[in-house]
Amino acid sequence: MPDLYIFKAQVGLVDPVALQGQNVCIHYMLKEYYRKVDFLEGIPPFQCLNIGALAALNTSGRTDITNLEMPDNEFGLFRWYPIDDAQIRLYHPSGMAKWQLRNLQVPLDMNIVNRDPNLVSTEIAVWEDNRPAVEAINGHAVALNAVRLIAIGYRFHTLDLESGTYANADLVKQLKSGALPCTHIWCSGRGIGG
Amino acid sequence: MGLLVNDRIVVVGPLVNMAAAGAANAAVVFALPAGQLRGTKSLRIHRVNLYNNAAGNTTVLIGNGVAGAFVALLPALDSFTGLFGAYGPETDLIDVESFATITAYPVALGVGTSIDIRLEVIVCG
Repeated sequence: MPDLYIFKAQVGLVDPVALQGQNVCIHYMLKEYYRKVDFLEGIPPFQCLNIGALAALNTSGRTDITNLEMPDNEFGLFRWYPIDDAQIRLYHPSGMAKWQLRNLQVPLDMNIVNRDPNLVSTEIAVWEDNRPAVEAINGHAVALNAVRLIAIGYRFHTLDLESGTYANADLVKQLKSGALPCTHIWCSGRGIGG
Repeated sequence: MGLLVNDRIVVVGPLVNMAAAGAANAAVVFALPAGQLRGTKSLRIHRVNLYNNAAGNTTVLIGNGVAGAFVALLPALDSFTGLFGAYGPETDLIDVESFATITAYPVALGVGTSIDIRLEVIVCG
């Protein structure tokens, strides 16, 4: 399964990271969940958040993107971009900076559709209700009436391979050892250092 | 690929006959989409067509609201008596963005005359 990995730059906008019956490992903070995908569907582009009006030279409060939350046992794969001229800082979860370099937390702005038309670098995954959050920065000398974000992606329902009806200890052992293929999906950020 | 660059759709508004002058008579020329399941829409004025029904040389103001609450989005647009007026990117019309229903009114009208207006709007969001 050479095509099952995150951050793919394919023809077209975004491909799923796993297909029906394939195995995934969900990483959320320091936890790992071994699962098997038993359903997936595409999510068309939609406006997932409007942070609202933002005064000139101002930064919004940190706002949870609750519309990207997923149901139990599901994860979402999303690429996204703003359609209003603010710079957006991403957090996932809300206390964890995403796109954090040593000296800068890299923001996202409208130019992403020109610089990275497939939005590869914006890709995030959301495990259940562990949604991301954003802050918007208006660098203009005029107020913005809205700061809207558009997301596109996939929805995946998964079966628990570590406990319950579909538990399969032998399979999980092989996935952990690398003997069988498994797509690793990061559903949160990670602190720098360490 | 540039798949998302044209992230807008162009929608033509209704043909509106403005038969009364002044901000108090500002007519709705493009309504902001409402009642959707999700998303905040905004409107960018792309083109304005005017036809002056022998109303005399005047100007038309386009903005939001009515009467004392009217706020112009654009400078006044000329409308010459008996003539068609076309404003758009070719005439350097600014595609100013509005987050509310767009209204318009003629500053003056001859008795029993009117101005027809139609907008082409880029709907964002």
